[in-house]
Amino acid sequence: MSRRQGKVAFVPARYGDRIVGGAEIVLRHMAFGLQKRGWDVEILTTTALDHHTWKNETEPGVTVEDGMPVRRFTVDGDALPERGALEHRILTGDPLTISEQQRWMNSGMRAPDLYHYILDSSDEYRAFVFTPYPFWVTFACSQIVPHKSVLWTCLHDEPYAYLELFQPVFTGSAGLLFQSDPEQDLAERITSKLAPHKVVGCGVEVPASYDPEGFRERYGIEGRFLLYAGRREGAKGWDELLEILADIDARGQFPFTLVTMGGGEVRPPAGFEGKVIDVGFLDDDERDNAFAAADAYIQPSRFEAFSRTIMEAWLAGTPVIANGGSDVVKWHCERSGAGLTYDDALELEEALRFVAEAPEEAAALAVSGREYVLSHYQWETVLDAVEAQIEAWTGVDA
Amino acid sequence: MVSPYPPLRDGIAAYAQQQVAALRREGHDVEVLSPGPSAAHYHLDLVGPRGALALAKRVVGYDLVIVQFHPDFFYPPGAGQSDRAAVGLALSAAFARAKRVEVVVHEVDYRYGRGTSPAALITRQLWRRVDQISVHSQSEVDSFREAFGVQSSHIRVVDPGATFVPHTPLDQAQARASLGIAQDATVFLSIGFIQPHKGFDRAVRAFSGMGRGGVRLDVVGSVRVEDPAFVRYADDLEGLAARIPGAHVHLGFVSDELFDRWIVASDVVVLPYREIWSSSVMERALLFGRRVIATRVGALVEQAHEEDGVTIVDDDAGLRAAMRREAGGGAEAVVEVQPWPTAAAGRTAIQEQVVLRAARRRGHAVPMGDHHEVSTVVGTGAVSAPLRRLGDVHLPDPGHGRGLRVLVRKVVRKVTAWQVQPVVDQLNAVRRASVESVERASEAGQDGPTPAPESRPGG
Repeated sequence: MSRRQGKVAFVPARYGDRIVGGAEIVLRHMAFGLQKRGWDVEILTTTALDHHTWKNETEPGVTVEDGMPVRRFTVDGDALPERGALEHRILTGDPLTISEQQRWMNSGMRAPDLYHYILDSSDEYRAFVFTPYPFWVTFACSQIVPHKSVLWTCLHDEPYAYLELFQPVFTGSAGLLFQSDPEQDLAERITSKLAPHKVVGCGVEVPASYDPEGFRERYGIEGRFLLYAGRREGAKGWDELLEILADIDARGQFPFTLVTMGGGEVRPPAGFEGKVIDVGFLDDDERDNAFAAADAYIQPSRFEAFSRTIMEAWLAGTPVIANGGSDVVKWHCERSGAGLTYDDALELEEALRFVAEAPEEAAALAVSGREYVLSHYQWETVLDAVEAQIEAWTGVDA
Repeated sequence: MVSPYPPLRDGIAAYAQQQVAALRREGHDVEVLSPGPSAAHYHLDLVGPRGALALAKRVVGYDLVIVQFHPDFFYPPGAGQSDRAAVGLALSAAFARAKRVEVVVHEVDYRYGRGTSPAALITRQLWRRVDQISVHSQSEVDSFREAFGVQSSHIRVVDPGATFVPHTPLDQAQARASLGIAQDATVFLSIGFIQPHKGFDRAVRAFSGMGRGGVRLDVVGSVRVEDPAFVRYADDLEGLAARIPGAHVHLGFVSDELFDRWIVASDVVVLPYREIWSSSVMERALLFGRRVIATRVGALVEQAHEEDGVTIVDDDAGLRAAMRREAGGGAEAVVEVQPWPTAAAGRTAIQEQVVLRAARRRGHAVPMGDHHEVSTVVGTGAVSAPLRRLGDVHLPDPGHGRGLRVLVRKVVRKVTAWQVQPVVDQLNAVRRASVESVERASEAGQDGPTPAPESRPGG
């Protein structure tokens, strides 16, 4: 086996330059990174862009997007009636039989054409890289040729992770790539015989410069503000964050505006509408400017496998206030020394009070964050590790 | 006079009684009708339209009918629009039959006068029938005008202490001796009906860590109605106080005399209310010359206007700080809020400060100077974190705007709230109790293992 031989397929369920979703974004960067290093890389994905509707929005077939070959397959996105009930039972901790788990998995979005393409063409590829683990595409397709299947796992401590359904994926794949020690710890905790695995980190692009004042001017933002970037949905802690901030604001204790970018409905509580500014989906440069302009970045999600956004905040010199329920994010905050965590509304309020009352100290707190990101999470370092693992776990003739 | 009346122990009853006494001193012939058996001349169940219509039969023949108004006297619990409309119509009939009606408002929900529903229209009409409405603050005058469309000329602000008569002749030393309180103690007092919106638990939590050097907090009162939620609250309050040195809960009947004796015995009266319109306790405390710490709710700020010795606080942290100032040397172990650590002190120091400040607001004693104690607070917080992260449950927001979907959601929410809200309340109560329980277990564990019970004879 020689270096960089064989075709590597990256297989996200959705793909595009405007997809909001950490796993999909990372996979895209990784694909381009390996392609740049000389790998023969292809994207296998679906025609859907929205992970809520799974509506077919792009054309099936092969295209070349920004120099990257992309092979799209249509989606059967209509969820069966029982999916909601089964999903509810999973999320509320009600044990499902294996049969029910399988019905749950197969009652939502599916991509039979993609499945069959891999089934038909697996010999043409050295490796398939899937993400994230709970999606049908990963679950179903990674088991077609498991000895070629590498998972960018994106495992976090959520009810799905404990489903017996996923054990074969965690134990039988060619390899599992983890982004952090806590993610690996969790995998080892829930699986007795874990497949080969490695913590490789996650790459973050380092902006050459920032324009915070320009961002403020272009979006008409005055005064101090907190930033949230990402999908605005309950699972990301968005609704809960709004409720807490609205409550603080109602007591006259909230000297900030909340600026948000990304996808999903904003839905601020009554009375808090004037304190939330949605700047929509921003390109990378403007995104970085937003991070630099913010007084603090809020990460309210408990379900993070890595949290690129906190890295982007730290790179921009912005302190992070994060939900302590995410082991990974808490680990980053403690390791970097550049972020505070909260476990309830009062702790969030006190952390905000720190930013409000001691802004210079808050900014100083963030300084070590940039160094932390630069030391651990530059793409070149991560790509070195990913390459090494693909070569170790798969072979050209496999 | 239509009012609760002694010997029922109730702030409104005491207020009514003193007003009756004053009127009679002025030579008026006053008869009293109360909602239940009491020292009043008559009693009548006033709840619901039937009660109001029964009242309508009684008011004829009096030159003046004075109603001490609280919604609970007239509206059934959880009254919906139709109930409020029916009661409003019946009360309007009663007021129409009287020669002159004056209403002293102790509490009212202004929301019920807003909007265009039949219930709102009837409620506005009801209040317009009243010849004179007495409230305790100017903000209530404004609210009445805005919500019910009542003309200012029909509303007056009355001094709730105008008819004050002390019920005890004792001085502080005698009162303390009678209650078994040390003469040199610093006594905080929260007194009144024990129910969640009075927030006595806030006072107990705020007091945590101050019960040294003779500083004490006494919570005195009874459960007004045997509502399971109120009874449970009282039980929880006792449990909470049992954990906090220096905090005492005295549940039981409190006569007017005993009520005043407690106030006289105290140094500072604490009113940690979550909701209230005005407070007769504040009035009596001030009239006895006691200092008052009160939360900024309702019209308490106006009631305390220009009175020396009243401290208004915005939140639990403010309450605790105010009590700590009053506690003086007895609370030397608890220090003022420390400034935020610098970034140079490290992330851990700032994070610890965040956790400690939040813990204090949850009612923990936070002795900043003692590293072992700080570690205990942080460790306990880590144990309860998974439960605290759950947060409170709320009914889903129906959204805003005018679309059909939003309208349907709002209707569904209104129709089902009476069934769903108690479940939501219970869930939140369970969560809070769980947090408290695991923190207590954690604290006990950090203090060392529980000693094994001694073997029993023959066991």
